[in-house]
Amino acid sequence: MTEPLNDADELALLKSGDQVAFARLVKAHHRALLALARPIVGESEAAEVVQTAWIKAHAALKNFEGRAALRSWLSRIVINEARMMLRQRKREVFLDDLQPEGADPLADRFISNGHWGAPPANWHADSPDSLLTREELADCLLALLGSLPPNQRALLELRDSDGLPFDEVCNMLGISASNARVLLHRARARLFALVDHFEETGEC
Amino acid sequence: MLKCRDVPAEAEALLDGELSFGQRMALRFHLFLCGNCRRYLRQLRQLLGAVPHMHGEASDEEVDRVLRRLHDHSH
Repeated sequence: MTEPLNDADELALLKSGDQVAFARLVKAHHRALLALARPIVGESEAAEVVQTAWIKAHAALKNFEGRAALRSWLSRIVINEARMMLRQRKREVFLDDLQPEGADPLADRFISNGHWGAPPANWHADSPDSLLTREELADCLLALLGSLPPNQRALLELRDSDGLPFDEVCNMLGISASNARVLLHRARARLFALVDHFEETGEC
Repeated sequence: MLKCRDVPAEAEALLDGELSFGQRMALRFHLFLCGNCRRYLRQLRQLLGAVPHMHGEASDEEVDRVLRRLHDHSH
């Protein structure tokens, strides 16, 4: 995973308008930004929202102060563009502020006295990077992400992928903190259960 | 006493920096005694560390498309 970003030299290049550095920025973050826009505006509008966000980001980079990570900064621009797109389309609802249905994905792993009945498998990966080096597992994770309810997906993207503060994420998405906690836990537990299952069986 | 069943939620709150000192101590005490929960927390950390990279890099075609539109826009 080559990510020379937020490195002082790279940032200086970006702020000076270096086009090659900007291309590297697009390469590193474009897919993650698309994944953020999709649950909010839908598949067909996501590309347009992210394209407009890149145009805005390109114009605003020279004023970027480096207080936030570039990825967080970019994701805020995407959310603003998504909001404007929805306003133009007269869609009032941003995302559902609803509790997820059904049981916690990890609930059946515990027995009645509160201990693990089916404890986590011992994962082969020993770092975040090595988790994703197995292509099949990386594909399984992406497929699962795509199948999560939009509000869970948007929360996971903003909080865990883009690194925005929890309170800001709740405000942005118009989801109450108590619901956001449950939704985020659901999404993370689903991902955990998937990796766990993959480690045991070699399948999604 | 914290039960294993409580650990997934507590572990997330820990990683999100939302636990008080007392809650952190209670979790640490449970983890000291429980290998399964230690493994859970270690692997959750790994998983959440991988999430920012899960989408991978854009292809050269995708990058070109973005840059072309950017170029059209500024001329």
